[in-house]
Amino acid sequence: MSAVAYDAIKPGLSADELLAVLAPLGGVRDAADAWGLTVRVPRERLRDAVLALRDGATTRFDQLLDVAGIDYLSYPDWRGERFAVSYPMKSTVFRHRVTLKVLIDEDDANVPSLHDLYASANWAERECWDQVGIVFTGHPNLKRLLNHHEFVGHPLRKDYPCQKRQKLSVNDPMVDQLEAKLVSLGYTIVEKATASAGSPLTVKEAAK
Amino acid sequence: MTYQPVPAAAAAPEVNLGDAFVTTTVDAVVNWGRRNSLWPFPFGTACCAIEFMGMVSSVFDVSRFGAELVRFSPRQADLLIIAGTVTYKQAPVLRRIYDQMLEPKWVISAGACATSGGFYDCYCTVPGIDEIIPVDIYIAGCPPRPEAFLEAIVQLQKKIDHENRRERVTIGGAA
Repeated sequence: MSAVAYDAIKPGLSADELLAVLAPLGGVRDAADAWGLTVRVPRERLRDAVLALRDGATTRFDQLLDVAGIDYLSYPDWRGERFAVSYPMKSTVFRHRVTLKVLIDEDDANVPSLHDLYASANWAERECWDQVGIVFTGHPNLKRLLNHHEFVGHPLRKDYPCQKRQKLSVNDPMVDQLEAKLVSLGYTIVEKATASAGSPLTVKEAAK
Repeated sequence: MTYQPVPAAAAAPEVNLGDAFVTTTVDAVVNWGRRNSLWPFPFGTACCAIEFMGMVSSVFDVSRFGAELVRFSPRQADLLIIAGTVTYKQAPVLRRIYDQMLEPKWVISAGACATSGGFYDCYCTVPGIDEIIPVDIYIAGCPPRPEAFLEAIVQLQKKIDHENRRERVTIGGAA
């Protein structure tokens, strides 16, 4: 983006002013934020907080940059909940950013989905579910995004054995959404993509 | 009629033919043809594939060893060069490409990732493609220089030279 376009973005709210917006919705500043404002919000108020930030006349956070899952299992001196979901947000109208963080327990690892508020949340939440195993309630298509469909477990959890090798026995056609999209555009699927069984693997493996 | 001895030339006619004949074995001729006309299929997934391009291009010029005709259909290739990282999601694709190649076929595993997984000691990377397909020659390096690729081609040629047509077995049971 050129400097001229950047200057067209209006000055945004300060950290204190943003906190004042989020405080009625249970927002508390995260003491660990080093590079910008991070606000912890309770799970029940997440959607309200996001809506307030998105639609507020002085906030206008119109971009959800990412949905990041955090596992605090091996975090030094951590006493809180095991998981967190972090939502970095940005405005293209005002020059300000904020990160919302929701802390959740291990045995109740779910947060409400934001797919209807931000289109970018759809795949970001699928990735977060795939890698960290956090359930996004209300998500229309919560299936794996990066790992293959036979994968078991969530590899970015700190207790996942990273040297556990999980072989994929058949091809992953990976075009189910494409087919639905083409049908919605009026095309007819003549032959559906199927997972094809590969031949047995090497002699080395068969001998095991 | 008096006895006349058979001329020596009739007993051993080759003597009169000089160097018009060469005697050899089928294996030697077949291997000579195979080793000097390897058609590579590059399965390039990472930076090693850039070094492969260097090897094929004019400065290093693999055509000096007869392997410059890069094919992008496995059905037309007899040398599979895996240059780069292979993930578990990609492994069935690699396996299928190998199965689609016709016999005789050889495999070069280029670089640290294809050979052992490299520094990707993680949940998604295959720790060496020999988990998936048989490999003839491994190249060390991250990425290996084009000279190393050429060295691998030469080593493979030596290996092909010693192959016995009757003893050649198909590893992996291609259908």
